[in-house]
Amino acid sequence: MFQAESSRRIIRSTLIALSWVPVLLTINNNVVHIAQIRGTSMQPTLNPQTETLATDWVLLWKLGVKNPTSLSRDDVILFKAPTNPLKVYCKRVKGLPFDTIDTKFPYPKPQVNLPRGHVWVEGDNFFHSIDSNTFGPISSGLVMGKVVAIVWPPSRWGSDLKLSTGRNCIARRAVAE
Amino acid sequence: MTAGALSIWSKTFSYAIRSLCLLHIIHTYAYEFTETRGESMLPTLSATNDYVHVLKHFQNGKGIKMGDCVVALKPTDPNHRICKRITGMPGDMVLVDPSTIVNHVGDVLVDEERFSTYIKVPEGHVWVTGDNLSHSLDSRTYNALPMGLIMGKIVAANNFDKPFWDSRHNIWGFKWIKNAFVDANGESN
Repeated sequence: MFQAESSRRIIRSTLIALSWVPVLLTINNNVVHIAQIRGTSMQPTLNPQTETLATDWVLLWKLGVKNPTSLSRDDVILFKAPTNPLKVYCKRVKGLPFDTIDTKFPYPKPQVNLPRGHVWVEGDNFFHSIDSNTFGPISSGLVMGKVVAIVWPPSRWGSDLKLSTGRNCIARRAVAE
Repeated sequence: MTAGALSIWSKTFSYAIRSLCLLHIIHTYAYEFTETRGESMLPTLSATNDYVHVLKHFQNGKGIKMGDCVVALKPTDPNHRICKRITGMPGDMVLVDPSTIVNHVGDVLVDEERFSTYIKVPEGHVWVTGDNLSHSLDSRTYNALPMGLIMGKIVAANNFDKPFWDSRHNIWGFKWIKNAFVDANGESN
């Protein structure tokens, strides 16, 4: 008798715990998320250690970031690679819709006007970065989240995300809409 | 009394949160039933009151084929969603605008620049056009669509303007949306 009672209680609490899984998933998908940064394209802001294999883990804000008006210049963002939707790139927003950008090699034109709903992204370490100079302006619909803070390793807590903002590439800012 | 009322309210609230989130997760990963509007997909989808069944397995363009109908975020405005047919896969050479305009006296006008421009669809992108080429804002305007914006594939549609039970026994005009691609080269062989 006692055993049936206790096993029923275990099943009940498991089901209750399971029913909260969608809530956690929803928050994780749409509000905040923790992501690992790989690669050296955002040095020295992210992953500055060159000798060790330690990588930075960052806190991402995801709510409303697909909206181009919620992005601002020098935000660090994660987005789906336009050339491969399963890859995620981490770059810095350098230009907002309707800005004029001075591009660099290998972009085919010396200057580009950003179309509606598109942003220009570049890595801070712009010599070792595959960014908008390769694949052009990206649609803000590809943005997955904005980096808010570094959460791991602890030695990197509170580090400045605007330590180095890469190259100055804005030729003309968009007139405020 | 007040404690009891409070517990009922918090219980209701917690059930509501959990079921809404479950619904949201299903909508994100498995299946979505959503409204479409606009003339761009006539005659496949009607301009008003059409609802489509979307499979989310095909999110990010996974496993999509030429001729499939997809729902995607609009590249120029992610607050809007578009519903188009895939008419070019990565690596394909695409004629930018195969449409002609017939003006009010019956002259056939061809936009020479677009009619003679070909584009190679880049890797990870697809070329999308509406079925109603003369009234559709699509890849001809905003270029190839990154697959990352694709939210799912449309497999069927309902129209709530239709009667619940019509002469062909379709509930609210239910119809399957099929792949419309015909390979002209394949047929001639």
